[in-house]
Amino acid sequence: MPDARRWRALITGITGQDGPYLAEILQTEGVEIWAASRGGRVPDELPFVQAAPAIDLRDATSLARAIAAVAPDEVYHLAAQTAVWQSWDDPVETGDITGLGTARLLEAVRREAPTARVFVAATSEIFGEPERAPQDETTPIRPASPYGAAKAYAYTLARLYRQQHGMYIAVGILFNHESPRRPPGFVTRKITRGAVAIARGEARSLELGNLDARRDWGFAGDTVRAIRAMLRTDEPGDFVVATGESHAVRDWCELAFGKLGLDYRDHVVTNPEFWRPAEPVPLVGDATRARDVLGWQPAVTFEELVAMLVEADQSASQKSEVRSQT
Amino acid sequence: MPTALITGITGQDGSYLAEHLLGLGYEVVGVTRRTSTDTGSRIEHLRERITLAGADLLDQTSLLALVQKHQPDEVYNLAAQSFVPTSWEQPVLTGEFTALGVTRLLEAVRIAKPDARFYQASSSEMFGKVQATPQNESTPFYPRSPYGISKLYGHWITVNYRESYGLYATSGILFNHESKRRGLEFVTRKISYGVARIKHGVDRELRLGNLEARRDWGFAGDYVEAMHLMLQREDPKDYVVATGETHSVRECCEAAFAAVGLNWEDHVVVDPIFYRPAEVDLLVGDAALANAELGWSPKVDFQHLVEMMVEADLALVADEMKRGILRSYAASGS
Repeated sequence: MPDARRWRALITGITGQDGPYLAEILQTEGVEIWAASRGGRVPDELPFVQAAPAIDLRDATSLARAIAAVAPDEVYHLAAQTAVWQSWDDPVETGDITGLGTARLLEAVRREAPTARVFVAATSEIFGEPERAPQDETTPIRPASPYGAAKAYAYTLARLYRQQHGMYIAVGILFNHESPRRPPGFVTRKITRGAVAIARGEARSLELGNLDARRDWGFAGDTVRAIRAMLRTDEPGDFVVATGESHAVRDWCELAFGKLGLDYRDHVVTNPEFWRPAEPVPLVGDATRARDVLGWQPAVTFEELVAMLVEADQSASQKSEVRSQT
Repeated sequence: MPTALITGITGQDGSYLAEHLLGLGYEVVGVTRRTSTDTGSRIEHLRERITLAGADLLDQTSLLALVQKHQPDEVYNLAAQSFVPTSWEQPVLTGEFTALGVTRLLEAVRIAKPDARFYQASSSEMFGKVQATPQNESTPFYPRSPYGISKLYGHWITVNYRESYGLYATSGILFNHESKRRGLEFVTRKISYGVARIKHGVDRELRLGNLEARRDWGFAGDYVEAMHLMLQREDPKDYVVATGETHSVRECCEAAFAAVGLNWEDHVVVDPIFYRPAEVDLLVGDAALANAELGWSPKVDFQHLVEMMVEADLALVADEMKRGILRSYAASGS
């Protein structure tokens, strides 16, 4: 008889922001971690993660093959085409990967590992322009972008599979969550990078859109704790994961520049090209259910989050300076 | 003469809409997919008067070429994998056609004919587990089948293209609509066709699923008029199209058997195999907005609809018997 098998997790989206944070948590629990990515590779920074056969969310066969090969006890489906603005450039691909990709994945799990627990990542973007704030699990879905529509499709389908096929599927309606692993295309990272560059004299100004746009920003490391907890409850469900606080882009600027001894008003210019009208009702989540059922609470405050990103960008630019000098 | 492009021309609604638009002086281009079986029976009588063009909702390039070539003034997206039970067996394919097909067609319109007016055939199945009764344009959605979920995505993406790209794009949330051209897999037609076979002595019984399932059933010929009206307004908007009345499968049986002088209880057998995995709640539409703004209301009532269908199927079965081509008809749900 082989040794008692370790609990086995399969993660899609290991190359994104959340995948590595999740893998790090699962590792501390002794979970055997596999990752399925398009290239069939795992980032070097995660040597404890094993590579599953490569997947393409547009190819159902590849998903079935990876799931059959790994035979996971739990699946974290984080992979998607995740940027809202990119979804305007290619709505079809976004729908194919982010929406139908989830259908293909759920079908593959249903056939190859029907008792596996599944986490599906949804987003506050499914609410689009909501009529009231804060938003919770009962707020009507009304996506306002191809990305939001694709995620809303994934969410409603995941819920249906749980209800009708009796599968263990949890959905996280994740509000914005940031970290040093966030790619620079996102506004939060754009601000901290820009502020650091200005502080170092490498840039003079930073162009942004509407400074009054508001979001509920949390730390990705906190978000993945909620994700993990969702697959450790008796009854799977849908959970809003949010801080419950809404902040403006302006607040990010003030804190990020302030931390570097600068006043954002001297450096930030608004470019109408990036300008989006402020939402009449802000996207801000009510995570009461996650708190009550999962015992989850965010640990990192908004101020700490901004400081964390500024410090990460400072040390990144110092490292690159060292590299360029050698 | 304005040009209308219709996907799903070979379906029930496509054929009625083509007739309606031809009557209004439109040039009609119908989109067909090549299949190995002939699917053109519903438009046989229109073949001389419409243009058929090959394209596929799964193939972005074919849609772009289609819109580029015909430069339509109006585009009606009626094509879909439209049968709820099939969507449980083939959820991904249903998503490919019924969900993502909408995005592909909208992209083709946005790129090749951005001033065309676009109609998306949405469905009351999007309401599923209903959050309010009756359902209108502001009722929250809660679909209960892969088909309903795919239609809901199609609705959202249509609204997106209107609000973000400024396309004249509208979504018609149509409740069930039937006719003699309804597919045999749908319950109303299954009943009318079954009644005709029993009346002609071909069959003795009719096997059905949940007799208590209720729907808001209208006549397809009325509903295609609403589609056209929706594209004639100055501002694009979404509308619920419904009769506002519900009837049960049992009532449909009663009316259909009574139309040929038979008692339904002597012939109908309930077979749980035809039950849906997840039944939707009471779907009943509130078409007050369509009535007020489009001046639309249904002309054919339930009783008349069932009688029309039975009458047509009596003639069809008689013809099939004469020609010796009686079919064995497919198992189905509602």
